[in-house]
Amino acid sequence: MASISGCSVYLPVWKLKRDEISKETGMPSLGGERAVAHWDEDSLTMAVEAARSLEGNFDAVIFASTSPPFRIKQCASFVASALDLDSSVFTMDITDTMRAGTDALITANEFVDSGRFSRVLVVAADCIPAKPGTLYEQLYGDAAAAIVVEKDGGAKILGYSTSTMPLPGSWMLANDDTVRDYDMRVDARYGYATGIQQAAMPLFAKLGLSPADIDRIVASAPDPKSYEGLLKVVGARPEEFYFGNIGIAGTAHPLILLASQLEKTGRIILGGYGEGADVIAIEIEETQESNIGRMLENRKDISYGDYMFNRGFVGIRDAPDRPSLTKVWRDEKSIIRFYGMKCRNCGTVSYPISRCCIECGTKDDYEEVRLGDRGRIYTFTIDYLVMPGNYTGDGVHPHCVVVVDMDGGGRVLLEMTDVLRDFSGIECDVEVERTFRLLFEKNNFRYYGWKARLPR
Amino acid sequence: MQEVAVIGCGVTKFGHHWEKDQEDLLVEAVYEAVNDASVELKDIEAVWCGTFYPSTGISGNVFSDTLKFFGKPITRAENYCATGMDNIRNAAFAVASGAYDLVIAAGVEKLMDAGSRGLPPIEGIFSVGMPYVSAPGMFAMAANRAFKEWGWTREDLAMVAVKNHYNGARHPKAHFRKEITVEKVLKAPMVAYPLGVFDCSAVSDGAAAVVLTRPEIAKEIVGDNYAVIKAVGMAVETMHPWHRPSESFLSFPATVKAAKMAYRMAGIEDPRRDLDFGIVHDCFTITELINYQDMQLCKPGEGAELIRDGVTSIDGDFPINPDGGLKSFGHPIAASGVRMVAELTKQVLGKAEGLQVKDAEAGFAHNLGGPYSVATVAIVSRP
Repeated sequence: MASISGCSVYLPVWKLKRDEISKETGMPSLGGERAVAHWDEDSLTMAVEAARSLEGNFDAVIFASTSPPFRIKQCASFVASALDLDSSVFTMDITDTMRAGTDALITANEFVDSGRFSRVLVVAADCIPAKPGTLYEQLYGDAAAAIVVEKDGGAKILGYSTSTMPLPGSWMLANDDTVRDYDMRVDARYGYATGIQQAAMPLFAKLGLSPADIDRIVASAPDPKSYEGLLKVVGARPEEFYFGNIGIAGTAHPLILLASQLEKTGRIILGGYGEGADVIAIEIEETQESNIGRMLENRKDISYGDYMFNRGFVGIRDAPDRPSLTKVWRDEKSIIRFYGMKCRNCGTVSYPISRCCIECGTKDDYEEVRLGDRGRIYTFTIDYLVMPGNYTGDGVHPHCVVVVDMDGGGRVLLEMTDVLRDFSGIECDVEVERTFRLLFEKNNFRYYGWKARLPR
Repeated sequence: MQEVAVIGCGVTKFGHHWEKDQEDLLVEAVYEAVNDASVELKDIEAVWCGTFYPSTGISGNVFSDTLKFFGKPITRAENYCATGMDNIRNAAFAVASGAYDLVIAAGVEKLMDAGSRGLPPIEGIFSVGMPYVSAPGMFAMAANRAFKEWGWTREDLAMVAVKNHYNGARHPKAHFRKEITVEKVLKAPMVAYPLGVFDCSAVSDGAAAVVLTRPEIAKEIVGDNYAVIKAVGMAVETMHPWHRPSESFLSFPATVKAAKMAYRMAGIEDPRRDLDFGIVHDCFTITELINYQDMQLCKPGEGAELIRDGVTSIDGDFPINPDGGLKSFGHPIAASGVRMVAELTKQVLGKAEGLQVKDAEAGFAHNLGGPYSVATVAIVSRP
């Protein structure tokens, strides 16, 4: 068995009060707030953001999501590229089921346990599209979580087992835009608690453990009440479920719960639910700090109207450029890996990589250098003729661009993100950090790259 | 350089010409220029005709098909907002070399047909990973840094707009012929912070043309009724100033270099002393203030003082943009540089009725294009 040696959670900067949703749609409020992705975030970009704060190298990346931005095209390879991992890294996506997050963790455990890979990045993210006015709009939240699995670590995976039961649950057909709304009571009553327990029994037997040997139980669930119901059935104390401030974060949810559990020692059961359940027993010997508290704190309230904008229901988006996909591929090192060049003649670090130095013109004599994570705004503007993401301006959502002197050298023009109309704090000489985002959608393709945001 | 004579000028009214297309505008400007020069179109040996947007026209055909002027050399040069003056530069050098005796330099732009707010976007010039920035956005970045560095304010910028509108209101061919107040400028809707609507030059349609020859031929055709181009300087810098670490955003190196080049060619040591006035590329109010510095009219950081002290007013010590500038006259990209040289010619010949600069014997015109990447400076004087 393998161990868990690191964890990181990513929450988008926006939170939306469910009372606000209720006020605008008439749906009864479930209370609390849900996490809302910015318009330029999807499960792929959030996965990168979650994984970025983890240090060290990986030889395998497993991406889990029910809402990958592509139906054909692997996301894990994008994640690996944005993290500047070597091209020899093994990448795979596990998709289509809410259980994919724990499936990925189990797969990583097998990879490490078998000796096939030494350090595996598991990253789960979801940004499940829900129709305005549906229950799912209030249930789900957008988030990502990343877990490092390797031989040694502060938390040992003791074992796992699964159960499979094809219940209706929630689903999207191949060409659906939003998740289907269905009576969830069947899942709640016959699927969830049963599935978890069915999965857990063989695990207890295998490990020679009884429920009394378990300190805490956390498990993703189709809704918060089901989780409480499960704990009542097994006689355990409910742990923080993060429904009140995040929502059900799909495949990322069990990994978010795991990350928060790693802050305390003890033996836990982690459950992942979807078409049955994964159950994993983990012994936490050394605590690991999680960033979830900081993520929860550094957020801003969003109005329902702006949430609709972020979801693409409000506003017109039409990018004027037709960037060549060939060029995106050719310039991957600068666009996705964020490399600039350091001239061997004059020492200037500049961006992007080009054959002749922008300061002294020296040809073909440079080394490629990855630019820093943070920098300072040299100058900026808030452009009302352009909308975020190169779209033609609507005058309501101006496009904030900043010229940033990156730490360690290199000056880059970046779009300022995580802002809609409030640009306070954006000034010359202020510190910003880069963040991986969707640049724009054009040619029925999604173009990714780096933007700037105020540090979180 | 060998001096080149401007013997004829034609400029359409700049503005929203919804009922006209580029053909109407170019025909009007070219015929006005050849009539002004007392020559016939068929006597013209070669043409340089600029357009910036391909939607206005591409290649030499932009001129040949419009005027049905076939069988002669015609070049369409494009160089951002310096397109007009670069066409003059090429035409002037061709005449100076002796290759041709009589040529036309022209520029035309039909922007209103693009149906966009501000300038139409240009496809493909930005690299893929880079955010799009509108033209005002590019210059707003200079303004924000100047505010930080020198303590300039939106009021300083507004005074540029007020001055240029004052002048433009007196020019019959200007796009906006209305005086404005500082308060009005400050209250206008934001375009690219800190630039509001009145900090931006007009987006206009228009065309301009000049007839060029050598001075000895000019004398035969128009007597003393001509001006001379003494120099045209030009410099091209990066179109990615935001990626060049040494870029200060407080000075536009292309202007500095083009001005130095032109001053050297014309034997000018101190422009404030040796010249009488100037026409600068005031695409945005901030640009005009930085241009003062880059054109060596004052030291870095002192640009705002010139506008505050009225130095650049039409009755000031060194009038700038007595015609109203791009701000109020309008800015049909490729036509602007040609119009500026036509305007200089009018001033030095004492024909700028209603907005004549006192004792105007010699002046400069300046174009700055792209993200401050291309600049041209021409010096025009009485013979």
